[in-house]
Amino acid sequence: MSTIKHCLTVVAAVALVSGAAQANENLLELQDNSELWALQLGNYAGNRHSRLDQIDRDNVQDLRATWQFSTGVLRGHEGGPLYVGDGRLYIHTPFPNRVFALDIEDEGRIVWMYEPDQDPRVVPIMCCDTVNRGLAYADGRLFLAQADNTVIALSAEDGELLWSAKNGDHTRGESMTMSPLVVNNKVIVGNSGGEFGVRGHITAYNAETGEQEWRGYSTGPDSEVLLDPETTLMMGEPVGEADLGVSTWPEGEWEIGGGAPWGWVTYDPELNLIYYGSGNPGTWNPAQRAVDGEPADNKWSITVFARDADTGMAKWVYQKVPFDEWDYDGVNENQLIDVEMNGEERKGLAIIDRTGFGFLLDRETGELLVAEKFAPETNWATHYDMDTGRPVVDPDYSTFTQGTDVNTTDICPTAMGAKNMQPSSYSPDTGLIYAGINRICMNYEPHEVEYTSGQPYVGATLTMMPAPGDNGMEGRMGSFMAWDPVAGEVVWEVEERFAVWSGALTTAGNLAFYGTLEGYVKAVDIENGDELWRFKTPSGIIGNVNTFQHNGKQYIAVLSGVGGWAGIGLAAGLTDPEEGLGAVGVFSALEDYTKLGGVLTVFALPD
Amino acid sequence: MRTKQKQAAVVCAVAALALFMLAGKIAISNEEPRYRVEDGKVDDNIFRGYQAYTRACMACHGPDGVGSSFAPSLLRAAERRTFAEFARTVAEGQEIQPGQVMPSFSDDAFVMEHVSDIYTYLSARAAGDLGRGRPQRIEEDE
Repeated sequence: MSTIKHCLTVVAAVALVSGAAQANENLLELQDNSELWALQLGNYAGNRHSRLDQIDRDNVQDLRATWQFSTGVLRGHEGGPLYVGDGRLYIHTPFPNRVFALDIEDEGRIVWMYEPDQDPRVVPIMCCDTVNRGLAYADGRLFLAQADNTVIALSAEDGELLWSAKNGDHTRGESMTMSPLVVNNKVIVGNSGGEFGVRGHITAYNAETGEQEWRGYSTGPDSEVLLDPETTLMMGEPVGEADLGVSTWPEGEWEIGGGAPWGWVTYDPELNLIYYGSGNPGTWNPAQRAVDGEPADNKWSITVFARDADTGMAKWVYQKVPFDEWDYDGVNENQLIDVEMNGEERKGLAIIDRTGFGFLLDRETGELLVAEKFAPETNWATHYDMDTGRPVVDPDYSTFTQGTDVNTTDICPTAMGAKNMQPSSYSPDTGLIYAGINRICMNYEPHEVEYTSGQPYVGATLTMMPAPGDNGMEGRMGSFMAWDPVAGEVVWEVEERFAVWSGALTTAGNLAFYGTLEGYVKAVDIENGDELWRFKTPSGIIGNVNTFQHNGKQYIAVLSGVGGWAGIGLAAGLTDPEEGLGAVGVFSALEDYTKLGGVLTVFALPD
Repeated sequence: MRTKQKQAAVVCAVAALALFMLAGKIAISNEEPRYRVEDGKVDDNIFRGYQAYTRACMACHGPDGVGSSFAPSLLRAAERRTFAEFARTVAEGQEIQPGQVMPSFSDDAFVMEHVSDIYTYLSARAAGDLGRGRPQRIEEDE
């Protein structure tokens, strides 16, 4: 260990001296070392896969908790621990966004803790809990996106604050929840606040100085979106028309047009492109986003962006849902996977999307290759038109067609999405994607809403119910599935009582791991989903299961601590609409299983 | 529509109205809440209260007042608090502990206009006169 530590110190020192070192070279090195877990998603491609195989199908039943650590924070704990080879785990918490360095060799002794001083008035504008999806690391520095829109860099060695940068304004409803990504010596981070009429943007800061290098907005004129209609591609062709980020909105609405890119960012070093999705358009009332009474695309909300990492210029865009009518926030992670399709090698990009569709795109051109339902109850669109790349919407479930102040019922999936932010895993051994899924539908009633700066700008109410029982999952609100991204088919699926809101992990030990809202960490056989091991942590899991090896021993580590949108929606259970008024919820209430509280649990095999 | 002056004027007027209503309600706070539920259908006050609740409160306090992992259940709120106390909490907000904050809604014209309806809705929920979900309005067709 001391050698690794020494080596890291040297690397960090060289980086500091030369100034020109590329942070991504450091990260590329770290991600290629299978003992480490240096990025929240495991690697730049977002695969959440580990080549470690000490823990495998034959011995996983012996896995036991070696130590636990309470973060002292009650809110929902998303994200997970980082291990960069220096004998410590680096973890974070929801607001107040504490950062801990914990000594692995001393069962989690606190080496240092950092707690920023933040205005608590940011808390009430964080619509779906004060979550944070974790730290980023590069060249001896840790990077954090604080709730109050401050991006900070800390020295990993001692937690000293190196720089801070202001990324937004909470009095306008902006906040931050995402985990930054470090690419080419830049810290890339987006804002949150899609329910407060913010204007989404993604920004690159210099990793050494905190100076802003570029910012690309999700809406507005091309010069601010960083898009060139003659060179930026859409479905393989140039976008063509200028300033669609203005013209596809009613007058001025793009300024409060949402598209907050609060999810995960992935990166292809060969193409030097970053990939991320923008969130839902401004108000949830589609009528207020129509132009001359007709649906308008509201570009570039719910759009996958491929941007040049150095300049921010958009290489291609793909709008998954033009003119959203369901809050199908488009931020889900873009997994970069190389696939064989019709005998041809393709650089693919796979998405298990909010919409209930699994997408496969060509990540060089943005061309749509596959769009198939992974959640069979999905009914808002019958299918995607593969020529135009647009969904074919079912008017029965179109909240715009049904109208303002009309309660459109039984739309699947719910606004939470058939999958929310919980990042999936891709195993290069099986070629499959593994993901936690929500099996929940909704009624959606849009209403007129007026914009007030810093106040919620929602404009629809929704009620949720479990997906219909004819999927063989009566009373179940979640599942964990293996998905074939090329065939567009579910390979296997296991039921869960609640939506599965935790990030998945696969390993070379032929295992897939995930957490449940009741608080179980589970290991299943990667071949068929058979459960092989489980452990109940003290609170529900909305964090991600990570793995690493230290001093020859493989560990599994996870943050538990229920919360997030799942905690808000499912705490007291859902009702069965068929039961009529006054029915006691026939579906399980999360509050019967778990309570709040952030805990890190670290597992290993016995010596 | 987004001029600040106009907003300020509206907020002032609503705040004054809310205070006025609040003063008026204190006198009747010991009486039975005034609402009508017939065959599971509800009067306009409850229905408006349901709508206002789902628009303004549900995001934290969960669907139908049942609470969430983020904020407590309000099912008993109307039983445990007088209307005056309830309205004051909504207007002023609360800081329970760092990181656990209820915002002040005094600047939110929509919420302040509907505080009384929300209280009525929660009263019907507390009394067990109204179950979960979107209620039907009495004579909804009209």
